[in-house]
Amino acid sequence: MQTSSSLSSSSSDSKPQMKEHCDHQVDCLKMIQLILDGEATDQQLARLKANLVSCQPCIQMYHLEQEVKELLTKRMEKKCCPEQLVATIKSKILTFS
Amino acid sequence: MSDTPTRDDQDRTGMPDHGGSTGSDQLLPDGDTVEQPSADTPARRYTDEQKYLVFNKEFMPHIDSMYNFAFRLTTDEDDANDLVQDTYLKAFRFISSFEQGTNAKAWLFRILKNSFINDYRKKSKEPAKVDYQDVETTYNSEDAESEHTVDLRAESVSDLIGDEVATALNSLPVDFRTVIILCDIEGFTYEEMAKILDIPIGTVRSRLHRARNLLKEKLRDYASSMGYNEESEE
Repeated sequence: MQTSSSLSSSSSDSKPQMKEHCDHQVDCLKMIQLILDGEATDQQLARLKANLVSCQPCIQMYHLEQEVKELLTKRMEKKCCPEQLVATIKSKILTFS
Repeated sequence: MSDTPTRDDQDRTGMPDHGGSTGSDQLLPDGDTVEQPSADTPARRYTDEQKYLVFNKEFMPHIDSMYNFAFRLTTDEDDANDLVQDTYLKAFRFISSFEQGTNAKAWLFRILKNSFINDYRKKSKEPAKVDYQDVETTYNSEDAESEHTVDLRAESVSDLIGDEVATALNSLPVDFRTVIILCDIEGFTYEEMAKILDIPIGTVRSRLHRARNLLKEKLRDYASSMGYNEESEE
């Protein structure tokens, strides 16, 4: 239960301590991005899981990265290729070879 | 083995390697020049009929993604049209250097990105052209500056609409925009991106990190200017 007991913030209750400050924020952010990109190792995944119950800045960074990725994947319009262009390409390659 | 192209080629670990070849395991048209096939990667000799078959079955299914990529790079529909057309004609011309059943999408994206750099950017009227070397030098020389976290809450940006996100993305230098498009919008793996962009995986990772920091800064500016910032609502 006691993860990083040296960094005591509000002790005396039995809940796991929540870190309000993270000393490795840049490294944690890089790890979070690897995980959201599906490029992380199992070890990195395990480390993130631990951080997500004990480190407030990591939780916030995780939500932000996830949100930004979702904005890009879900909210931006996906442009489709105009039919006319498909037809042009198909007719042009027929004149090749 | 079936030669049916699969839509999820990009989910594999990247382009397959051919036997003992290590480095460039697939020869790709690089701008207007194409490398000569080496001994371990012989050029495919397709008949005309096979060429059209490969083109229609393996290249055409990616045309919407290709168009979207071209549009996000050029931010202009006419330019996207030209770029996609050039790319597909090049792909057909160099079809003998494509091996059936390998990652057609990554192969096509690489041709498109090279065409964009070689042809489009030269004649681009865009005034605020950012030379990649400049950007890279600037960012490498200010590592402490680029290695940071952006102070922003998820809730601050969650109300942004697609056009606003697109505007923020478009305001990034094109090389940073490119990695975000490839990774977040097209879902390529880092390994595939390294091949499409001709850069090491480590550079993919660090460029993505920097690109995302820049994007978050733009989003933060946007969100606060639109009053989406949580501080502004009392």
